[in-house]
Amino acid sequence: MDIIVCVKRVPDTSEADLAIDKGGKDIQKGGLDYDINDWDRFAIEEAVLIKEKTGGKVTVVTVGDEDAEEMLREGLARGADEAFLLWDESFEGSDGYATAHILAAFLKQRSYDLVLTGTLADDDCGGQFGGMLAAMLGVPVATLVHKIEVKNGSITVRRELEAGLSERLDIDLPAVVSVATGINEPRFVSIRAVRKVASIEIPTVDRGELGLDEADVGSAGAKVEIEKVFLPPEGEGAEIIAGSPADAAARLAEILKEKGGIA
Amino acid sequence: MKTIYVLAEHRQQHLRDTTWDALAAGRDLAQKTGAELACLLLGSGVDAMADQLAKECPKVVVVDDPRLANFNSEPFVKTLTGLLAGQDSYVLVIGNSNSIIDLAPGLSVALDAALATDCIGFEVDGGKVKALRQIYSYKVNALVSFKGASRIVATLRSGFFSFAPSGAAPGAIEKVASPLGDEPLRKRFLSYVEAEKGDVDIASADIIVAIGRGIGDEEDLSMFESLADAMGGVVACSRPIVDKGLLPKYRQVGTSGVEVKPKVYLALGISGAFQHLGGIKGNPLIVAVNKDPRAPIFRAAQYGIVANLADVVPALEEKIKELKG
Ligand SMILES: Cc1cc2nc3c(=O)[nH]c(=O)nc-3n(C[C@H](O)[C@H](O)[C@H](O)COP(=O)(O)OP(=O)(O)OC[C@H]3O[C@@H](n4cnc5c(N)ncnc54)[C@H](O)[C@@H]3O)c2cc1C
Repeated sequence: MDIIVCVKRVPDTSEADLAIDKGGKDIQKGGLDYDINDWDRFAIEEAVLIKEKTGGKVTVVTVGDEDAEEMLREGLARGADEAFLLWDESFEGSDGYATAHILAAFLKQRSYDLVLTGTLADDDCGGQFGGMLAAMLGVPVATLVHKIEVKNGSITVRRELEAGLSERLDIDLPAVVSVATGINEPRFVSIRAVRKVASIEIPTVDRGELGLDEADVGSAGAKVEIEKVFLPPEGEGAEIIAGSPADAAARLAEILKEKGGIA
Repeated sequence: MKTIYVLAEHRQQHLRDTTWDALAAGRDLAQKTGAELACLLLGSGVDAMADQLAKECPKVVVVDDPRLANFNSEPFVKTLTGLLAGQDSYVLVIGNSNSIIDLAPGLSVALDAALATDCIGFEVDGGKVKALRQIYSYKVNALVSFKGASRIVATLRSGFFSFAPSGAAPGAIEKVASPLGDEPLRKRFLSYVEAEKGDVDIASADIIVAIGRGIGDEEDLSMFESLADAMGGVVACSRPIVDKGLLPKYRQVGTSGVEVKPKVYLALGISGAFQHLGGIKGNPLIVAVNKDPRAPIFRAAQYGIVANLADVVPALEEKIKELKG
């Protein structure tokens, strides 16, 4: 099976102290660490696991500037066969819709059986990319998938519903599948594996090669626009127990005892 | 906007709560924009649900087709595009859920509409609708506009729109023939699969010690197990802990895991994402230990300690044992 995996590089915001940028439309990204979006790492692993069983080729691709190359190389070290960077200055400011548009143009130029991606990206929290891409390609989609079984010309997937419930679906190929975290255990990449792929060339594909107009991409091609961003009001939050960690822990033990937290 | 449409979500012949969230938001938007309000109910054998909706909405458009029994996105997208073809000037609001995550993005492309997912509020400014959503690990609010789009699809985070029965006169039910053709579906629903049951049932525990990604690369959970033992509680967790294979799925608290209703919930190294908090019911005492003072968990908790887990957990256990005597 030929599988194309769409990945994204995102800032790690879950533990960072965030501040709003001067323009008021984004956060300050200067001091943040960047990495592959957590959900997408599972997508790469799933593609490589399927390839190991059925044969074929795995391609990783992203819309991003040269800073995203390292992430693609990690994808190669994880077992992908080739990687492409889709970039053009005019891509700057693309929203989920414009990004799906760019990747749809790339995919229309290639043959594939399956497109894999993560269900959600931790930066825009949109959860929209896979579904939009599939609609643009005219193929079926399933999101939040935590199990894939490859059949002949189709796949059977399990997708996550609420409260532990899942649904099983049969899907004809080609298709787009957005995976859920936990679908597999992404392998550890050794330094040796990274070195082995150091010489693989990662081509950059620009807007012209994709046959896209300037009006289709970047902020011009976006359907939504961020007017302003702000940190949510702190509101009525927790009472923070002051003191050294040990003192605070001791006070917390007393509170727990008072409130029935010790049986 | 001319029309605010609300898509009803159901499962196994029951309307889901997401439908009422969406109706609440839809009513509010209809009032603020002066638009008409209509519910769209797509399903199989849906008369009872249609009657239920008509009590709360002036118009209910119904499509009855066996292929719409489950929320399979393929026939839903086709039916909705058929229903809304040629229409302009509408907002389609849908309560977000795991079924809707499968549906809304593709639907928005098929309708050539602008999409905002997981909205927590709306603003209407000079007749134009803007949506409030959360980005960057849900820690930052963003107000988004739709560049003058005349077709908008918006999905809603549950818990942010509260529904009150209207008591108005019953609405009209309009049955529309299914626009689905004979072509075979490329995506076919097979069955539901129930969650696996485990050796503990965290849903019935009174005291829960929940661990999250903040425990770091530590694979030895004995520090947390022994704290839970000292408290007389059980260990539960957030999703990343299950994803890493450290604990089984039946210990995961959250919308896609287990709903718990303890008296006390101690959250250790958990950021407090809404999908996690959505699994904590019954207003327990929530206490959080997290090194990030802005972690959303501190907005849900009554008490908190801003510190490293390693500096707090052993001291806490020791003091608890001392208090127990
Ligand atoms: C459809 C869907 C369904 C989902 N269902 C669920 C669900 O059922 N349950 C669930 O939990 N999640 C669910 N999620 C995932 C959810 O969005 C969050 O990603 C997840 O809850 C985050 O888990 P966490 O808080 O452990 O990790 P993070 O968000 O990474 O937070 C880790 C926290 O630990 C703190 N920390 C780090 N190091 C330390 C330290 N040394 N000492 C103290 N604190 C530290 C950090 O400051 C941070 O706040 C779902 C997501 C989606 C899209």
